[in-house]
Amino acid sequence: MNDNRRQILDMLAEGKITAEEAERLIAALERGDVPAARPPGNFKYLRVLVDANDPLDGPTKVNVRVPMQLLRAGVKLTGVIPDRAREQVNEAMRKEGIPFDINKLTPDNLEDMIEQLRDLTVDVDNASAKVRVFCE
Amino acid sequence: MKPEILPPLSATMHVRPTGWRFGVKLWLPLFLLWLLLLPILILALPFLFVAAVIFRIKLWRSLKAANGVLAATRGSEVEVDNRGARIFFKLH
Repeated sequence: MNDNRRQILDMLAEGKITAEEAERLIAALERGDVPAARPPGNFKYLRVLVDANDPLDGPTKVNVRVPMQLLRAGVKLTGVIPDRAREQVNEAMRKEGIPFDINKLTPDNLEDMIEQLRDLTVDVDNASAKVRVFCE
Repeated sequence: MKPEILPPLSATMHVRPTGWRFGVKLWLPLFLLWLLLLPILILALPFLFVAAVIFRIKLWRSLKAANGVLAATRGSEVEVDNRGARIFFKLH
């Protein structure tokens, strides 16, 4: 048994992941599309680093750490939005050209989204500022 | 009560202006703020209940979700460093 598989089974035994998640991970491992055994949901924070060089304020560094739990709590808060307001939100988003349905934003979908964030790193680099967003 | 359902109880703030050898460290007791707000929330509950009925909002679920958002801010950090000062703020 290789280390990745053992790690997945350990996480399952510890209750960190569900049997379905373990099955998905093992399947992905067998397909070879898991580059490294990084446990799902392992990261707790979203980190935003800004390194700017403003002509007035001079060099400025900003380092923000936002708990992922805030994202989850925010989605739970959308659950209490009245139906009429939801329709208005969807309509406003459509007007802005964003085909987004707030009704589809559920805690289950959010976990999938957070899962996808694991490999996401946003790097913006221009003459006046460098911005880096990643999960940790 | 589980710590993860409590709002941030305190915050720390470090401010060090450029050129200063030592900075100022502040500990902010946020729990006092919640204690002050609690009676106001209790007094506002009847109005919130009426508003919830009018707008068809589940009041208990809303309060729980709002508390969840507050609780989830625990662990947030902001650090700003420029030529004027270095400021660090963290919610505990």
